[in-house]
Amino acid sequence: MLRDITLGQYYPVDSVVHRLDPRAKIILAFLYIIAVFMVPSLWFYLPVFAYLVLATLLAKLPPGMMLRSLKPMRIILVITFILNLFFASGTTPLIKIGSVVIWQEGFMNALVFTFRLVFLVTGSSILTLTTSPVTLTDGLERLASPLKIIKFPAHEMAMMMTIALRFIPTLVEEADKIMKAQTARGADFETGNLMARARAMIPLLVPLFISAFRRAGDLAMAMEARCYRGGEGRTRLHKLQFHLRDLLAFLSMLLLYLVILLPGWIW
Amino acid sequence: MPIVLEHVSHLYRSGPVTTTALEDISLTINDGELLALIGHTGSGKSTLAQHLNGLLEPSSGRVLLDGQDINQKGASRRALRFQVGLVFQYPEHQLFEETVYKDIAFGPKNMGLDAAETDRRVRAAMEMVGLPFDEMQSRSPFELSGGQMRRAALAGVLAMQPRVLVLDEPTAGLDPSARDYLLGDVKRLNAQGTTVVLISHAMDEVARLATRVAVLERGKLVMEGPTREIFTQQERLSAMGLDIPETYKLAARLKEAGLDLHGHYAMEELADELAGAIKGGGGDAA
Repeated sequence: MLRDITLGQYYPVDSVVHRLDPRAKIILAFLYIIAVFMVPSLWFYLPVFAYLVLATLLAKLPPGMMLRSLKPMRIILVITFILNLFFASGTTPLIKIGSVVIWQEGFMNALVFTFRLVFLVTGSSILTLTTSPVTLTDGLERLASPLKIIKFPAHEMAMMMTIALRFIPTLVEEADKIMKAQTARGADFETGNLMARARAMIPLLVPLFISAFRRAGDLAMAMEARCYRGGEGRTRLHKLQFHLRDLLAFLSMLLLYLVILLPGWIW
Repeated sequence: MPIVLEHVSHLYRSGPVTTTALEDISLTINDGELLALIGHTGSGKSTLAQHLNGLLEPSSGRVLLDGQDINQKGASRRALRFQVGLVFQYPEHQLFEETVYKDIAFGPKNMGLDAAETDRRVRAAMEMVGLPFDEMQSRSPFELSGGQMRRAALAGVLAMQPRVLVLDEPTAGLDPSARDYLLGDVKRLNAQGTTVVLISHAMDEVARLATRVAVLERGKLVMEGPTREIFTQQERLSAMGLDIPETYKLAARLKEAGLDLHGHYAMEELADELAGAIKGGGGDAA
C-alpha cells in the first residue's frame, strides 16, 4: 500500500556525473540554481537547456525520469503560468477576449517564470538522482566542517541525516506491515470522515513509534559497542578527493555563466 | 468450504523491475486440515498467505472461498478477513492498546459485535492461548514477556473466531517453552475444527503438526502432498536448500544401515519401532 513512496530517488548507474565529488556536485547545483535565476530573457534558457541535456546524457539518466520529477510540480507550474499570463500588464496586446487582455509581455513573463521552475526542479534533481544519500551527506558534512570553528556540529548533523535516510525505507516497510496486520483484524483506514480516519491511524502509529524507538535503542547500542564517540579523531574509509573531472565540471559551469551573462555586459 | 487457489500469479513492481512473487499456483486448502507451507526465504510463502484473506490481489488467477471469488467486485473484503484470520510474523509488533483486553477486543469490535459478545470472545481467546484473564486483562501489553506478547497478539486474531487461521512463522524468535506452548495452542485449535495454514522454517514443527505440506520455490508450487510423502524425498528438498526433520534424518540413516522402520517417522512411532528393534534382537540391523 505504501510501496509507491520513494524518498531519495538515487538512480544507480555508473557514469562520470555519478563519480563527481559530492562536494563539487552540491556547489555546482547551487551555481546552476543561481544561473537559472540570472537568465535575462527567454532565449537564454537555450544554453541552460543544452547544459541540462548534456548533464543528463553524461549521467546516463533516462529522460523520462527527469520529466517524472516534474510531475508533483504540475499544478504549481500551471498556476504560475496562468497567474503571470493574466495579471501582468504591458504595452502590446496579444489576444483580446472581451474585457480580458493578454499582453505580449505577460505571455513572455509567464513563459520565463514557468521555465525557471522547470529548470530549477529538473536541474537539482540531477544532484539527487546521481548521488546516493550517503555520499550526499558525506559531501554536506565536508562542506559544513569549516563551521566547526563556531561550534556547528557538522559531523553529528551528517550522522543524523545518514541514519534518518537509512531508516526511511525500513520504517515505510514496517508501516506497510503493521497496516496490513491491522487490516487483517478489520481495521479500516480508507473510509469514514476525517475524525474517523485520524482515529483509525492510532493502531498504526502506536506500534510504528514503539518500533522506531526500539530500533533507535538497538542502533545506539550497536554503535557504542563499536566505540562510536562522535566525529572527534574519526578517520574515513572513503576519502573525498577532487579530480580532473571535477575541475572540468566547474569549467563547464563557468562556460554556462559566460554564455548567459556576457551578452548583457557587452551590450 | 475450502479455499481454492486457481492459477494464482502475483507480480511485484518496484521501479523499472518487475518480480514474479508467485507463479501459477493452484492449491486447495481443505476444511479442517493443517497445511504447512515451507520454502526458502523469498520463495513467496508470505505473499501467498496474504492472498488468502485478500490483503493482496493476484495479478492473474482467482482465489475462491466457498466457491466465491474473493476479489470480485462487490465482495466484502472485511467480512472475508473475519473468516480468514491472518497472524503475521512477529505479531507482537502490532499491539497498540492500553490494555491486553482492549487490544484483543479490537478485532471483535471492528466486526460490530456487542459488548457482551466481545467480552465472551476476549475471555475465550485468552483462555485458548493460556493467558489468565483476571490477572492479565488490565495489564499493558507492553509489560508482558515476549512469549506472552505473542500469545496476546494471537488471541487478538482468535477473538474474531476465524474458520481459517493463517500463521506466518508463529514461533520465530520464541524460546523453546514458549514455542511448545504456542504450537500446543495451534494443535488444539485445529483439533477443534479450525483450518490452519502454517508457514514455517522449523521442519520439526511441521513434521509434528502438519497433515499436508506444500513446498514453494521461487514463487512456484513445486511439491505438495501428505507430510510423510514430502519429507521422505530428502534429495529433492536438499537440492532446494531445505532441511528435513530430525526424525526423518534418523530414519534415513537407519535405513542406510539396514534397519527398515516401515515408514514410521513421527517421534513416538519412531521411538516405539526402535525400541522394538532393539528388544527383538536387532539382528536385521547388523
